[in-house]
Amino acid sequence: MDRMEESLQNNNPTAKAFTLTSAAWFALATSFGMIAAGYLIAPDFMANIEFIHFGRARPMHVNAVLFGFVTPGLLAAAFYFIPRLLRTELYSHKLGVFNAIFWNITVLSGMIGISFGYTQGREYAELPWPVDIMVVISFTLVVINLLLTVRNRVEPILYVSIWYGMAAVILTACTYCIGNVIWKPDTGALVGIPDAILLWFYGHNIFGLLLTPLALAAAYYVLPIETRSPLYSHTLSLIGFWSLIVVYTHIGTHHLLQVPVPTWLKTISIVDSIAMVIPVMVVLINLWLTVKGKLGAIHASIPAKFIFTGTIFYFFVNIQGSMMALPVVQRITHFNNWVVGHAHIGVFGFAGVTALGALYFILPRITNKPLYSKFLADLQYWLVLIGITGFAIVLTIVGLIQGNAWYNGETLYRTLPEIQPYYVLRASLGAFIMIGAYLGLYNIIRTLYFNRGAST
Amino acid sequence: MRMTPAVILVGILSLLAAITLTVVYWPYSTIDRTPSDIFRQRTVVEAAGRKIYLENGCVYCHSQSIRAFDWGHGADRIAQAGDYIADEPIALGSQRTGVDLSQEGGEHPDDWHIAHFINPRYTRPSSIMPPFEWLGMARIDTLTQYIQSLGFKNADIRMERQRYWKNESIKAYEAGPDANAKWLAEIVPEGWRNLPNPYPTTKASLQRGHVIYQKFCIGCHGPIGDGMGPAQPWIYPPPLNFTLLKGREISGGIIYYQLMNGITGTAMPYFKRDLESQKIWEVGDYIAVYFINQSDANQDPRGIDAAWEP
Repeated sequence: MDRMEESLQNNNPTAKAFTLTSAAWFALATSFGMIAAGYLIAPDFMANIEFIHFGRARPMHVNAVLFGFVTPGLLAAAFYFIPRLLRTELYSHKLGVFNAIFWNITVLSGMIGISFGYTQGREYAELPWPVDIMVVISFTLVVINLLLTVRNRVEPILYVSIWYGMAAVILTACTYCIGNVIWKPDTGALVGIPDAILLWFYGHNIFGLLLTPLALAAAYYVLPIETRSPLYSHTLSLIGFWSLIVVYTHIGTHHLLQVPVPTWLKTISIVDSIAMVIPVMVVLINLWLTVKGKLGAIHASIPAKFIFTGTIFYFFVNIQGSMMALPVVQRITHFNNWVVGHAHIGVFGFAGVTALGALYFILPRITNKPLYSKFLADLQYWLVLIGITGFAIVLTIVGLIQGNAWYNGETLYRTLPEIQPYYVLRASLGAFIMIGAYLGLYNIIRTLYFNRGAST
Repeated sequence: MRMTPAVILVGILSLLAAITLTVVYWPYSTIDRTPSDIFRQRTVVEAAGRKIYLENGCVYCHSQSIRAFDWGHGADRIAQAGDYIADEPIALGSQRTGVDLSQEGGEHPDDWHIAHFINPRYTRPSSIMPPFEWLGMARIDTLTQYIQSLGFKNADIRMERQRYWKNESIKAYEAGPDANAKWLAEIVPEGWRNLPNPYPTTKASLQRGHVIYQKFCIGCHGPIGDGMGPAQPWIYPPPLNFTLLKGREISGGIIYYQLMNGITGTAMPYFKRDLESQKIWEVGDYIAVYFINQSDANQDPRGIDAAWEP
C-alpha cells in the first residue's frame, strides 16, 4: 500500500462527518415519524402542541429522511469511494467538513422553520426560501469538491459509481432550484395547474435523480468488493445509467393522472412509468449477475446484506410503481395509504437501507478499526427489515381497504374505524425502524469516537 | 462508449434541459388559464385563511381535487383547471386521510366548523384530525372564512342558503320547544311527515342504531340525547334535546328525513352520503325508543312486511 492509498484509507474527515450526520438524522427523522404515527392512532395524544402536531411532524419527518438521513448517508459513501476510485485525495477535506457542518445547519433550520409554520406548503418543497438557498449552496459545495477531485484524478477511467454520484448531485442542484421556484422567494411556487406539474416533476426527481443514482453508485461499488466479483457488464452499466436519466425525468405527472392536466403529458408519464422497467431491470440484472453464486459472501457481510436487500426493495418498488401508473390501477391506489407504503419501500427499503449498508462498508475503512459491534449492526438489519417489510404489507392492505371502499361509494368517514387497527400496527412497525435507528446511531458513534478496538 | 467527465456533464445537463422544457415548460406556456364557471377571486380574509391552511399542513390530509369517479364530499363538481388559476401554490394534496375540501364551502355553517376546529371529535366522533384549539379564536375564524370559500361561487350560493336558514332556525329555537318542534316537522315534505318507521323495533336493530348514534350523533346530542354533547357550547341554535319531543308528533318519517337531508343553517349535517337507508331508520328508531320514549315503528299505515321480518 503506497502512502497515498494509506492516507485515503485512514483520514477521511468528510466521510466521517457525513456518516455522523446521516446516523443522527435517521434517529431524529424516525422519531418525527413516530410522532406523526401517534397522531393517526390517537389524535388527542399530545393535543394542541403547535410545533409537532401532525401537519408539522409529517413534513419534518419527510424532509429529515430525504435531506438529513438518506442523502448524507449516501454522500458519506460517495466521499469515500469517489476519491478511492480516482486514486486521488478528495480536493479539500476542509471544504468537505465545512460542507457537512453547513448541511446540518441547513437541515436543522428547515426543521425549526417547519415546526414554527414557515413552510411553502408544497410536498417535498416545503423548506422556506432562505433554507432553499442553503440547500442549493450545500449541493453546490459537494459538486465543486467532487468535480475538482475528478479534475485532479490519477485514474483516467471513471467507474460507473462516479457517473451516478456526479449526476445525482449536479442534476439535483438544478432540479432543486427549478422545483422550488427559487426565483420567487415569497411563495416558492408557480400558479395553478403548472405548479402541480412542476412540483411532481421535482418531487419525483428527488427520488429519481438524487436518491436512486446515489444508492446505485454505492451498490455498484460495494457489491463487487464484498463478493469479490468483477462487475458483470460495462454495457449494461451504460444502458442503465443513460436510460435512468432519460426515463425517470419524464414520469412526475403520473401523480396527476386524475387532475385536469394536458392528456399528452399524462400519456408521456404513463408510458415512461412502464418504461422504468428498463433502467431498473438493466441495473438489477447487472448487479445480481455480478453477485451470482455469492449469496454466502453477502450473508457474511453486513454492508452487502443491507445493500443486496436494498436491491430487492428497488425491484419491488419499481414493479409496483409501473403498475400504479396505470390509470385503472390508480383509481384504487391514489389518495390513500397504498402510496405511503410505496414511498416507504422506495425511500427507505431501497435508498435508506442501501445508505445504511454503505455506512457500514466505509466505517471500518475510514476509522481503520473494525465496527464497534457487528451484533448491533446485525440486529439493526433485522429490525429494519421486519419494520419496512411489515410497513409495506400493512400500508398496502390499508390502501386497498380505503381505495376499494371509496371507489364503491363508501364515504371516507365510514372507513376511519375500519383502518384504525392498521394504523396501530404501522406505528408498532415504525417503532422497529426507530429502535434500529437509535441502535445504529449508538454503534456508529462508538465506532467513530469511543472504539477501543474490541469487536463482537 | 467512453465515459469522460465531459460526456457525463454535457450528456446529463442537456438531457435534463430538453426534458424539463418538454414536460414542464411546454405545459406551463400552453396551459389554458381561463377561469372556470365557479371561479372568483378570494377576499383578503380568505387569502389569510389559506395561509393558515398551508402553514399547518392541512394539505397533507385534505385533497382539493375531485375526480370523475368520486362519491363522497364535494363529488358533485368535478375539478377543472380553471378552478385553480389563483392558487400559488396549488394545494391539490396527495392523500385523503381526511375528506376532500374542494367544495367544502357552505357544506356546514360557521359554528359547526368552529366546534370542529376546537376538537374535530365534537362534531365527527370517529375523526382522526388533531385539535386546533391552540390556533386561538381569531385564527380559527380566519381559517373558517377560507374553508367557507372553497367552491368559490358555488360556495357563496351555499353560504347564502346557510345564512337564511340559520336565521329561520334561530327564530324557531327562540320561540320555545313547542314552536321549535312544530317548525322541525313543518320543514319536512308532507308525505314524509305522515310516515311511521316502517320496520319493527328489535333488540338487534336498537343495538345497530346505538353503534351509529355513537359514531355520528353523540358529539352534539350527547350520550343521553339531551343535546348536551361536547360540541354544544360552540353551536347555536344548540343541538336538539330529543327528550323534549315526546307527544309533539314527531314521526319516524320526520326523523328519517331530517337525518337524511340535514337541517341547513344549523350544525345538523345531512347523512345521506354517510349512511344507507337501513342505518338511518335504525338510528332514528334508537333515538325514538331511548330518548323520545315514543316510537311509531311498525305502526299503520304500513305495507307488506319485509321478507326478513320475524
